[in-house]
Amino acid sequence: MRNTIPVIFVLLLSGLFLTSCTSESCLDETEAFLKISFYKSATSKLSAPDSLTIYGLNMVSAKLYNKSTGVQPASLPLNAATDKCIFIIKINGITDTLELTYSSYPHLISKECGYTFYHDLIPESLKCTTTGLDFKNMGIDSIKISKNNITTINEENIRIFY
Amino acid sequence: MRRTYAYFTSILLIFFCSLLSSHAQDTVLIPLKIKVGLEVSGPGIYFSDKNILNAEGYISVDRNEKMAFTLNAGYLDYKYSQYNYKYLTKGSFLRAGVDFNLLKPKKSQGKYWAGIGLRYGLSVYNSEVPSFKKENYWGTVFSSVGTHTNWAHFIEVSPGVRADVLKNLSIGWTVSLRKLIYSGSGNNLKPIYLPGYGNTGKSVSTGISYFIVWNIPFKKINVIIKKEEPEETENEGDTGNSINQGTTTPRTNSRPRSQGIM
Repeated sequence: MRNTIPVIFVLLLSGLFLTSCTSESCLDETEAFLKISFYKSATSKLSAPDSLTIYGLNMVSAKLYNKSTGVQPASLPLNAATDKCIFIIKINGITDTLELTYSSYPHLISKECGYTFYHDLIPESLKCTTTGLDFKNMGIDSIKISKNNITTINEENIRIFY
Repeated sequence: MRRTYAYFTSILLIFFCSLLSSHAQDTVLIPLKIKVGLEVSGPGIYFSDKNILNAEGYISVDRNEKMAFTLNAGYLDYKYSQYNYKYLTKGSFLRAGVDFNLLKPKKSQGKYWAGIGLRYGLSVYNSEVPSFKKENYWGTVFSSVGTHTNWAHFIEVSPGVRADVLKNLSIGWTVSLRKLIYSGSGNNLKPIYLPGYGNTGKSVSTGISYFIVWNIPFKKINVIIKKEEPEETENEGDTGNSINQGTTTPRTNSRPRSQGIM
């Protein structure tokens, strides 16, 4: 009894010094990129192009990839202000136009990082490559959508066979 | 036959009564209380940071010397902003559960509490993102998320201590460990801060609450601390050893029984 009561009072006082410490820095991925994997159409095996150039339409001065090698996968940012993005893709010197339509919605990453936009490729894009995805020449053989939900998670969204 | 049955019943009763009376008994008078508490750190923090107002109180009713039923209720008004977004949430919460005093009645005497609380929490809140900004390759997008009303559910474990500092007035603190069960707002627009719960960023929300408690005794109970007969250890024969062997140590049963006194 004599020992217990002082212990309780010490515990009471020690509570005054208990504070919380939280980190305020954002360490998470904040951009929901469209992730594109490249496959050889002849073998259907993963194969990075020898040369890859990608930029947005009318953004030739701001290239996302410029004659890059060994890119696997390519990560493309989408424009949340519109429901359509057009990218110019040059694979091994052959230029194609990739057009994507989607819907965007806000997503909380964390208190530290704030909000970003996630995107859903529209169902038509999933079903028919001629509506959501339009090939201008034969550099790209075919496109397959693996996952239409575009998030900050590192998951493949599109397969390009060339 | 009936007389034989009554005879054996009487014998059994006498036997059990003698068994009970053969144990020495000690009692402690414990007052059972209704406790009305006020959390004091919330208003204190508000004076230094006007972005967070947390007002909370609780009422607790002792069931016996070990256990009390508790109900916490409160209100939260929370604002947060940083370079790329603003966030507002307002709401009320209830936490219901039990407190267990881990001190033995002889030590607690109804004045001291060191134990653990278990709660189920319910939070109803409005949250809003008045503005947020997203910059990327295509430029900067400004957007917002309108007000939503949601219900959240969580559980809480709260160890702590409390002691009487004046007659019928005690102070204490509890550390809270809370686990969110359901935020009510889906995966994309999870709340950043919840009334009664706190920061939702981690899998377990931790916090500390400081209470001033007004105690209203409503009943006194006699808690019987049953003492067992001292165990006698047999002497190991006559070895001629001069050291005392077989000393007896009284042992107290750890399960007290209580009797109510109005």
